[in-house]
Amino acid sequence: MEEQMKKWLEPFSTTDGKPSTLATMQEQVKEWIDQDKIDVFLGYKMVQGHPLPHFFTKSNLGEVDELISGQARYSLEKIATKIAAETPDIKIGLMVRDCNQRALNVLYVWNQLNPENVETIHLNCCPSKLKKHADCSYLEPEKAAVYKKKVGIDNNMDVEDAEAFNMEQRFQRWMYEFSKCIKCYGCRDICPVCFCKECSLEHPELIATGTLPPEIPIFHLVRAVHMGGRCIDCGLCEDACPVDIPLRLLYRKVNATVQDEFGYETGTHAGQSPFNLLGDEVTLEPKPL
Amino acid sequence: MDYKIIPSVCSYCGTGCGVLFQVMDGKLTDTLPMKTHPVNEGKLCIKGWNLHEHVVSDKRLTTPLIKKNGEFQNASWDEAIQTAAEKLKGIVKAHGPDSVGILTSAKITNEENYLAQKFARAVIGTNNVDHCARL
Ligand code: SF4
Ligand code: SF4
Ligand code: SF4
Repeated sequence: MEEQMKKWLEPFSTTDGKPSTLATMQEQVKEWIDQDKIDVFLGYKMVQGHPLPHFFTKSNLGEVDELISGQARYSLEKIATKIAAETPDIKIGLMVRDCNQRALNVLYVWNQLNPENVETIHLNCCPSKLKKHADCSYLEPEKAAVYKKKVGIDNNMDVEDAEAFNMEQRFQRWMYEFSKCIKCYGCRDICPVCFCKECSLEHPELIATGTLPPEIPIFHLVRAVHMGGRCIDCGLCEDACPVDIPLRLLYRKVNATVQDEFGYETGTHAGQSPFNLLGDEVTLEPKPL
Repeated sequence: MDYKIIPSVCSYCGTGCGVLFQVMDGKLTDTLPMKTHPVNEGKLCIKGWNLHEHVVSDKRLTTPLIKKNGEFQNASWDEAIQTAAEKLKGIVKAHGPDSVGILTSAKITNEENYLAQKFARAVIGTNNVDHCARL
């Protein structure tokens, strides 16, 4: 796979707009580390036959030759957030696809990362008509099987299609999906924009404990509400869900509401969010209760 | 400052999901599912997600313990193995090999499970072998 990746000559582009191949990307990383522009670079390396997230620093500069774009998609920005929490002034470079960049924007908005301390190298994303070559592992979710189509929600549905069911059907179908939940918290743990120290999903007074599935639909709805203005539609949660609940669709609905109400398109820029009142400017008018 | 991602296999059950350990400055801080692992394909159960916790837990035993005068006391491996061997020998001698049973585990490797049943059959002399997944 490594050999094959080296042959791909699709342009990458760096923060300063230079086009690059994998080789020049490696050069760029070396230069950044050499010149102390960054302390650590988060990219991928083949380890035991798997493309895994990897840290490149001055002490292992030689390994940069093994830096690859990595076809598996991990949330490097979540790793970066954890590093920055431990070492606030650290300068981090990372490889980003479109979804990582959207997540970074949200993390900047919520002061989890300082954009001054982050350098990015942009990579190819999912395939599209305009961009035939793709490096990303994210393909369409698997096709829904017959039973799921009959009683549940097809993960590939649009919000509109999912809303076409009548109320009773809709409720039953979503409840069927939620009833499969094994409360692994994978959706939260993998999410690049879930960073709260105390999570409502673990609050016994909000969500009853001691049963599987967890209290539904409240467990999933609490998370959905919290994803309004946060979720950047990367799909990592759905990827990580062992029971294939169409989480992404649920959060798309929530974010559609955020867009309708506030005109805020989550993740597209690092400007003020209507939900973050700690920014430079307050944009929400407090309304009487 | 030293960061590492270390691939491993979840030791909580026999499924064997692929995990990645996140290590910061020598401290194990997080577990991630391995996306390309053929067993779990980027998914984990709640135990797997928290795998690092039992490694760094305060409650983890770091040395063998032997109960002396009704209280557990730290012991060396040699001492612990010697004590276990003597006790087992005594029991087999007094009550016969079928008075002993060996429980193997989903948390150990295939090879270790093989050794455990071999130990039961060839050393102790009993077919009393069972597995924690059936308990
Ligand atoms: S798609 Fe899922 S993992 Fe990605 S940002 Fe939204 S909630 Fe988080
Ligand atoms: S990842 Fe899926 S199964 Fe796990 S807690 Fe989230 S919704 Fe439930
Ligand atoms: S993550 Fe869960 S299912 Fe997978 S090996 Fe560990 S305990 Fe078993």
